[in-house]
Amino acid sequence: MLEIEHLLPKVEKPARYVGGEYNAVVKDWDRAAVKVAFAFPDVYEVGMSHLGLQILYHVVNSREDALMERVFAPWTDMEGLMREEGIPLFSLESRRPVRDFDILAFTLQYELSFSNVLNMLDLGGIPLRAADRREGMPLVIAGGPCAFNPEPLADFLDAVFLGEAEDGFGELIEVCRQARAAGVDRQGLLRALAQVPGVYVPSFYRVAYDSAGRVREITPADESAPERVVKRVVDDLDRVPYPTRPLVPSTAVVHDRAVLEVFRGCSRGCRFCQAGMIYRPVRERDPERLLEQADEILRHTGYGELSLASLSTTDYSAIRPLVEKLVERYAGERVGLALPSTRVDAFAVDLARLIQKVRKSSLTFAPEAGTQRLRNVINKQVTEEDLLATARAAFEAGWLRIKLYFMLGLPTETLEDVEGINLLARRVLAVGDETGVPKGRLSITTSVSTFVPKAHTPFQWEPFLYLGEVRERQAYLKRRLKGRGLVFHWHDPEASFLEAVFSRGDRRLGAALERAWQLGARLDGWREHFRPDLWRQAFADVGLAPEDYAYRRYAYEDILPWGHLDAGVGKRFLALEHKRALAGETTADCRAGRCTGCGLCPALEVEPRLPQRVAIDAAH
Amino acid sequence: MPRIRLAFRQDGPARFLGHLDVMRTFERACRRAGLRPAYTQGFNPHPKMGFAAPLPVGMNGAREYVDLELESEAPAADVAAALARQLPAGLTVLGARPVEAGGSPLMGQLGRAHYRVTGRAANGEKWDDERLRAAVERFLGRAEVFVTRRTGKGTKKKDIRPGIRSLRARTDGETLILTMELAAGGGGTVRPDEVLRALREEAGLDLVGAEVWRTALLSGDGRLLWEC
Ligand code: SF4
Repeated sequence: MLEIEHLLPKVEKPARYVGGEYNAVVKDWDRAAVKVAFAFPDVYEVGMSHLGLQILYHVVNSREDALMERVFAPWTDMEGLMREEGIPLFSLESRRPVRDFDILAFTLQYELSFSNVLNMLDLGGIPLRAADRREGMPLVIAGGPCAFNPEPLADFLDAVFLGEAEDGFGELIEVCRQARAAGVDRQGLLRALAQVPGVYVPSFYRVAYDSAGRVREITPADESAPERVVKRVVDDLDRVPYPTRPLVPSTAVVHDRAVLEVFRGCSRGCRFCQAGMIYRPVRERDPERLLEQADEILRHTGYGELSLASLSTTDYSAIRPLVEKLVERYAGERVGLALPSTRVDAFAVDLARLIQKVRKSSLTFAPEAGTQRLRNVINKQVTEEDLLATARAAFEAGWLRIKLYFMLGLPTETLEDVEGINLLARRVLAVGDETGVPKGRLSITTSVSTFVPKAHTPFQWEPFLYLGEVRERQAYLKRRLKGRGLVFHWHDPEASFLEAVFSRGDRRLGAALERAWQLGARLDGWREHFRPDLWRQAFADVGLAPEDYAYRRYAYEDILPWGHLDAGVGKRFLALEHKRALAGETTADCRAGRCTGCGLCPALEVEPRLPQRVAIDAAH
Repeated sequence: MPRIRLAFRQDGPARFLGHLDVMRTFERACRRAGLRPAYTQGFNPHPKMGFAAPLPVGMNGAREYVDLELESEAPAADVAAALARQLPAGLTVLGARPVEAGGSPLMGQLGRAHYRVTGRAANGEKWDDERLRAAVERFLGRAEVFVTRRTGKGTKKKDIRPGIRSLRARTDGETLILTMELAAGGGGTVRPDEVLRALREEAGLDLVGAEVWRTALLSGDGRLLWEC
């Protein structure tokens, strides 16, 4: 156990670094054949709010032959002290250096955490570049949504896991265990890993560029490497383990509550949404199982709040009976329900009424775009009438505040669409007045984020809107959205710009990333630490123009840097969706059995799963 | 509603929890144990718990107290046993007893606290018992000892001398051991780190790597709040 006690009084939030939470698993080090450190490249409070961590922690620690411990990015104060005293990055459970583990597994949730990955490797005393790692050093792997374009990190990762890891992670552990037993060297291990479906070994692929520095060709450079790496998907979620004894953080974290995953995937088909594409198809969990799991989780955590999680929870087939049952069972035990609402219809308000007896918070809706034309482009199937009717229902049910989420810079957006945001917010405000919400308490908050094109979506070919233009449109809204009852929120688009550079970036960006880290970039997702000046310097130093990446419009025939990585949804479908978008045509939800032909189900041999028993019987 | 008084130790990883963290941890432990805490009314109900005194982040508590209000009657020993199984590392139940109806809250009874601080002298400076005793004696001989306190608006000077009821120091090999009894509770609190700061500034005694234990919570007249 590393001695860090003397540092803790000197840092902010020392509880981040001590572990010992309820349900933490501390296994016998010497009895686990394969030791995995789950590395979350952000601080404790963010990482501990992540369901994927809880799932993998449970999956791996349930195995006899393996253990998993956690490690998070230290805040700058702790990092400073660790560097001063030469204390290496350590795991929370047994407080051992991460380099003592066999596998260091990062999750990539957000492009702006990439610099933290490098920083954590360095703090761990692990060479940044995969090519420099020697025998006996941990295997550095990564998964998560950003792993679907891991190219900017290609030089730093030994292997990448695409898709859902419940089954695949076990296979990875098996391969490592066998390789060690057989005395196979690092290169041999990577070859064996490349055979595991869903595993991508970047060093086994050669990327050729043309004279303009654009990807010309990606070819396997090792016979073990498949032409394309296809994501893993769990066919039936009821078959795989779910953590009903999750870690309960002792100190406050971002989402501090019990989580029930009601389904995975989303079939609404919003064209900007990466999660909606890469987590297909929709697979619902059995409602009876969910009720059992809710009971176990609450009993094993003591949480007073239960969140029903998914990409679009109100779409769950049995949502109404499920919510009714949960309310009936737990209201007396003071368990609140949290239900992220994405639907804009009366049903959403109805559900919100069920779970919120006291209307203390606001309701949130995400029309995403200000005009019907643009909502058709992005395939967000919400009409203005829907929104206004929903708002009316919400005000009549007693809510006083409504939050509206929009994106600026969507493909084909014009000033008319931007003005549409203002008009929509004002119409919602007018509905509030009409329904008699007291003037002083009625409030409509409009939040705008900036659209970032993502790999594996129909908008992957589209550019990020010019920064200057984003700022002008923000400023326009800021001027317009003033007055009684109106609140306007926006973010500085610089961070979104960097996100756009990396979301569709290629391997050459690794040099810029490394340079930025050397110059001091870290915790870029935190406003107080994000330094755009330093990133500009880094790009200049390595001779790359970030604008070339962010503002690039790809042609359909271009080789995409992530073209060899297969998320299941076919490129032809994405292109078709892109064309439909530009034509203003919408595409239906495939959940109801009307397959819209994205190609995923036949390619991965899965199908959407909607439970047979949608009515939860009275026996419960 | 029935109240149970709990004595507990807080050390190890749990000493880095803030007061709100500790409250939340007790609340969840109660719920896991199937005990139903009583909640306050209003928009943001919280469990009715009365701690004797929040333990500062980083400090160990040898014997801390909390009154838990429950929705239904339960034998104190059962509550203690159930909670003991549910608390995370570093929170240990030492005892429990029912609080008689109308009993005054812990916080109001508190008047003093006892602390034990161990550490080493900075820069390997040599301190023997003789020198320590003399320094402490001179320090205690002062009529006033001012420290600066951060307040909401800025800083202000505060004389902590009246709040220092006793202070002793001795050596144990390289280790220096300080014990002190300081004012605590509604009548004004002096914190051990303030005494350490004053000792450094006024007596040249600079302690590093200090580990602080709050060893006892006492009433105004110096009796243990609860001897369990
Ligand atoms: S293949 Fe059809 S049913 Fe399956 S996810 Fe795609 S659109 Fe939906």
